[in-house]
Amino acid sequence: MNDLSEFFGRRIPARQVMPALGDGQVAVQRVGRRYRCQRCQQWVQPEDRLPNGAWYCRHCLQLGRVTSQTKLYTIPEPNRFTIPPAPILTWTGKLSDDQQRAARAVRDLTQRKQNQLLWAVTGAGKTEIVYPALAWALARGWRVAWVSPRVDVCLELAPRIRQAFAAVSQCLLYGEQPLPYAYSQLTVCTTHQLLRFERAFDWIIVDEVDAFPLTTSPLLQDAITRAEKTTGCHLYLTATPGEALQRQIRRHEVATTYLPLRYHGFLLPRLQLRLAWRWRAALVKSQLPRGLQRQVLAYARVGQRFLLFVPHVRALEPVMAALARLAIRNGVSVHAADPDRTAKVQALRDKRVDFLVTTTILERGVTFPAIAVIVLGGDDPIFSTAALVQIAGRAGRHADFPAGEVTCYAQSQTRTIHRAQRMIDQLNRQGRRQGGRRP
Amino acid sequence: MTICVWCQREFQSSLALRDLLSWRPLPVPPLCASCQARFVPITAQHCPACGRQQDTSTVCHDCTRWAAEPLTNRALFRYDAGMKAYMQQYKFQGDYALRKALQAPLQRALAQQDYDVLVPIPIDQQTWLTRGFNQVTGWLRGQPYQQALLVKADHKTRPQSAKTRAERLVTPQPFTLDPQVASVLVNRRVLLLDDVYTTGRTLRHAAAQIYLGGAKAVTSLTLAR
Repeated sequence: MNDLSEFFGRRIPARQVMPALGDGQVAVQRVGRRYRCQRCQQWVQPEDRLPNGAWYCRHCLQLGRVTSQTKLYTIPEPNRFTIPPAPILTWTGKLSDDQQRAARAVRDLTQRKQNQLLWAVTGAGKTEIVYPALAWALARGWRVAWVSPRVDVCLELAPRIRQAFAAVSQCLLYGEQPLPYAYSQLTVCTTHQLLRFERAFDWIIVDEVDAFPLTTSPLLQDAITRAEKTTGCHLYLTATPGEALQRQIRRHEVATTYLPLRYHGFLLPRLQLRLAWRWRAALVKSQLPRGLQRQVLAYARVGQRFLLFVPHVRALEPVMAALARLAIRNGVSVHAADPDRTAKVQALRDKRVDFLVTTTILERGVTFPAIAVIVLGGDDPIFSTAALVQIAGRAGRHADFPAGEVTCYAQSQTRTIHRAQRMIDQLNRQGRRQGGRRP
Repeated sequence: MTICVWCQREFQSSLALRDLLSWRPLPVPPLCASCQARFVPITAQHCPACGRQQDTSTVCHDCTRWAAEPLTNRALFRYDAGMKAYMQQYKFQGDYALRKALQAPLQRALAQQDYDVLVPIPIDQQTWLTRGFNQVTGWLRGQPYQQALLVKADHKTRPQSAKTRAERLVTPQPFTLDPQVASVLVNRRVLLLDDVYTTGRTLRHAAAQIYLGGAKAVTSLTLAR
């Protein structure tokens, strides 16, 4: 019986035939004149046919290939857990008053099994706010998944949750996970891994719901819906909801809890726009906008450390050259494929370097105390509204340094920049109503 | 805009004047530039026996140990991290669509080889059932070949790729000659085609069987070395 727990609420191919599993379902099925993968619900391209006559799905190939000759087996989720002894929540930290208010709201909505959104500013402590609601859900014997489109978020989250809920059976799933799957009450995983689940979870928490690739991938959005029980509900966590989600909020289609203030109670730094005429052409000649030059020189004089965001990897080199000509040398550049990425980030944190020139990879999930933020080329399409708000959110995160300058250089005001400014202002208006102070 | 068959990203394929003037369908490259760069071609400086990339053009150390069973092999690409990643997805994950990535270079290489009959290395029945395709014939674009070799039914051990060099070298003969096809080999120059040359054991077993079929000469071509 122990063996079969692998199939609880999942949809996976069996290695050998097991009579207890029933007939199973063909993985790639004919629908009309086309073929459709029953695991990821995507259409199979007509040329993706093997010489042995089987169709196979390329969309979810990373989870192991399924073909029209594979069968998927499932056992409806039985919620077979022993309820962990009280207290379930072994986290010993304290929530601030604002956080407690939000945590209560989230728990109430969860108890009513409502789909909800927690919109908390960058640096508000979203994870901890969910803890009381999660403790309640686990005590009820719910099966819960905490998912994120970003694997680094999952890796960072899993040990924290393991400590906070020490008595609860937990399992971390991602692409290159070293440990095998184990049936457990609390699953931390990437959104891709949800493709293996079928009506399994009573509650799904989606962290960074606006992050790539979830926003642009119907496959992953569908995976969340299918992994949730028909009686289940979900909670979205985000600092920067996208257009579609904001529309749902305006129409009151999703119950929303706001947390417009950071844990230290100060308002968010505003995003200042400065126009830079033809910065793109100047960058090719490795020249920086005049205003930016003055700004970094001023920073260098007072010893202010800064993050400089550029739109592309290929912009890193000319920017570094231009800074070197201004005799600003004690810094490094970093991008996604950089093997020393973590070491360089740590160097800025340890104040061994004065600045970091980076692509958008550092837009979320990193904290530096007392940092100034500059965006070069904010009108580039790579900087979405969410990205700009997240980038602005890098400044002023520490309680001792709640102020922070955020400057954006662009050829012209664009809609994305304007929306980012508007979102920050809107959050600050709400924050002020809750007693937020200007730093 | 074309979509790269490997990384699935869109890319702009470059167009040469020659392509326009050739009055043929425009070539659609299967790979984007960065995926293409993951395959490192072997240059003219290679071992004349096994085709391994090296600094000199003399017979390499491994090939001097094979003096009793000489075989001339050519390889197209180095078996490095990029090629391993490709083989992992193509062969072991079974992504048959990736065959398109290397069809064109193989076609060019085959055109340069001197041979009468092309014999791809076969896969065993079990692999055929699970993988659903022969990774070697997948790279062919309609070039004629003879499936002259069969894998013995009792040959059921671990795959070659899971063994150490010493274990691979003592592997017994896994192939037999297909009696129906054997006649076409008589007095012909045969080219064996395989995916990776690692120790040379498999190809030499195959070559021995082909010689038994009466072939005049046997050489081999592999995608990677």
